[in-house]
This record gives sequence, C-alpha cells and structure tokens, in this order.
Amino acid sequence: MEIKKAAVAGTMESSDVYVEIKPASDIAVQIESVVAQQFGEEIERVVRQVLEENGVKGAHVSLNDKGAVECVIRARVETAIRRGEGERDQ
Amino acid sequence: MQGDFLQETYEGGLKGVVRRRVEEFLSRQGLRYDKGIQYTVVLYDRQGEVAATGSLEKNVLKCIAVDEKWRGEGLTATVVSALLSQAFQQNRQHLFLFTKPRNKQMFLEFGFYEISRTEDILLMENKKDGIDSFVASLRRGQGSQGAVVANCNPFTLGHRYLIEQAAKACDTLHLFVLSEDASLFPADVRMELVKKGTAHLPNVLVHPTSDYLISSATFPTYFLKEEQIEKGAGGQLDLVVFGQHFAPALDIRCRFVGQEPFSPITALYNKQMQEILPRFGIQVVEIPRKEEGGAAISASRVRALLAEGKMDEVRALVPDTTWEFLQSPAGQDIARKAGESR
Repeated sequence: MEIKKAAVAGTMESSDVYVEIKPASDIAVQIESVVAQQFGEEIERVVRQVLEENGVKGAHVSLNDKGAVECVIRARVETAIRRGEGERDQ
Repeated sequence: MQGDFLQETYEGGLKGVVRRRVEEFLSRQGLRYDKGIQYTVVLYDRQGEVAATGSLEKNVLKCIAVDEKWRGEGLTATVVSALLSQAFQQNRQHLFLFTKPRNKQMFLEFGFYEISRTEDILLMENKKDGIDSFVASLRRGQGSQGAVVANCNPFTLGHRYLIEQAAKACDTLHLFVLSEDASLFPADVRMELVKKGTAHLPNVLVHPTSDYLISSATFPTYFLKEEQIEKGAGGQLDLVVFGQHFAPALDIRCRFVGQEPFSPITALYNKQMQEILPRFGIQVVEIPRKEEGGAAISASRVRALLAEGKMDEVRALVPDTTWEFLQSPAGQDIARKAGESR
C-alpha cells in the first residue's frame, strides 16, 4: 500500500492517540507519549508492525500518545494509512 | 466525559446567534472572535451552554478557550484534535497556534513549539525548530548586513528606489518578499518580478518569508481590508519574530523601510518597528518615498490605476521588467481581476 498524501487519525484526548502519516521513501516513526518511558519501544513495535501488515514501504509516522492501549494504537494507525492512500475516504 | 458534550463544527465564519454566543464566551476570557476565521468548533454542555471553542484561519489555530467550570476535563484536546484534522483535510500541514503565554505547557503536550511571544500573545508551530531551520536554510551575506521586508504587489520603481538606497548603505542587503498568497499578484509572480527588478544589484539576496514574516501567523491584521482593522492591531509579534530569529541568524543590524503615506496599518507597523527592533540591536532607517507626477509611488497606486485601465500612468511607475509582465497574458489577467474587484 502506498501513502500518497498526508493524513491524520485519532485525537489527543486521554487514552487516545493522534497519528500523522506523510508520504516518504523510507519508514520513520516518531513518538511523543505520556508513557514513553515504560512503553515507548512497545508502541514503536506496534506501529511498525501495522505498517508492515499493510505493506507500507514508505511513510513518516508521528504519534502523540495520551496513553492509548494497543488495540487503539493499531486502529488509529490503520485509519491513518487508509486515509493516506487516498482512496476510501474516512 | 466527552459524551457529556455536544460537538458542533461550523464552516466559514460563525453567523447570527451562534456567533454572538461564541463572541460573548470569548470576551469573558479576554479573547476576540477574529475576522477571517474559516472554521469553528464549539462544544456545548448539557444545558446547551458553550463549554469550549476553537477556530481555524488558514493554517492558524486560534480563539481557543474552555469555560472555567470545565477546566481539567480535557476539552482543549477535543477542540485541538478537531481543528488539526480539519486543517489536514485541507492539506495544510505546517500549522501555527495563537494562545496566551500562560497556556504554553498545555499546547506543548499537543505537539506545538514556541516561536515567539509578546506580553499577551504566544505564537507556536507544529514543527520542532521549524523557524530556526528555515532561517538556517537562507543564504548568508557578509560584512555589514541590512534587511528589507516587502510584499511588492507588484514591484514598482518605488521599491527599486528603496532597495537601491538600502543596498548602498550596507555590504549585503537581505530582501524578504512575502510568501503569503493573499495579494492581487500571486507569490511566485511577485518573487519573479523582484528578482528581475533587482538583478542589477549584486549585493542583494532575495529570500522568501515562508510563513514567518508578515503572514497570517505573525501578522494577521496586515491582510485585512482597511475598514476591518481595529485600533492597536499591529505587528508587534511579527517584529519580535524578526528580531529574535531572523536578525541574529543572518547578522542583520539594520532594517530599511519606506515611509508610509497611505496605508494606516503599514504606518502603524513602521512606528512599532522604531520601538521594538532597537531592543534587538537593530537600527531602523526610514527612507522617503520616491515621487512621480507629484505623488509618492506605491504599489497600491499601481493597482488602482490597473483597475481603472490607465496603463499609460502605470507605465511611469514600474520598471521595464514589471511592465513586460503586465503586457503578458498572465499580467493582463491580473489587471482584469483588479478591475473586477473594484
């Protein structure tokens, strides 16, 4: 799946995560999180896994996490990917 | 928690009853509903009262406020998230935010970083070191260095005179041409005409301003029509940004400006310049306007003449390079637009 345009998903409300995705030639993940110290690496692993599952080879993803659980992070990143490929909207 | 609030979004500026209610709400917080706002989010509580609001004007988040009694409920996060996703849908990725200086910490948590502040306004952007990396990307000069910031809408003999005078007074002159596309002549055309019109001056470096000088973010009232400008609305913040970020990085010690006989907002800006820039060790030099036919040459005069179709008179006020453009199909299109918007 190819990211064709910048897109966002999620919110910065408590227990949610705000995800921005931008087209790029490589993969980069940047995380701001209230729980970065305990879970930063875990969050990055989840994000990279979702990208891989969706066949995304190039994207810069940045997360502003307010303590979201894994399934929320997955859902938000997937939504951002869908929006970024620019076909099915929302 | 969020379920206790009803979220409504409004495209275009607010109108009627909702506008009055939001204006009232903001004024209680010491804020004004700015002219030029294009999108507003309002959260209502169960009684139907405004609990929180925020707005978007182009790429700037502003007029964000939460009712005292709902502080600590995370309503700002809801408002900011809604504004961010609207901005992204419009493909605006580089975003700015106005708030009161005391709210800095909260917006840091939403991924915004400080650019500059005055006593009562804090300007932030969603890129870490955004402004400093922009300034670092600009070509450096040498020796004694000065700057001119101008819209050049379009480039006239008046601009050329100002720049020639300024260029004589320093070793390198940095000439910033506004990047904001809010003028009759599009940004790329203005830039091109400036480059051609100053090509004979080897010590002039022409730069874009991105969103960082005289833009919707740093100086929103600059682009309003005269009758919309309220007293005191000025460019303090813009001047602080210049003094704090541009001048030290490029070693600019002097800012040249044309005397302003016409536009009240520019006249006010020049006056504020005299007050603020010296604090940053920058000298302000005002250069009298070049006259033609008994009146100062100005771009606004050129636009008015274009609108009236008085091309002979336009010819006397612009250099050959600008004149050539005005003769081209693209130039004639713009003249037609000027005529229609009269």
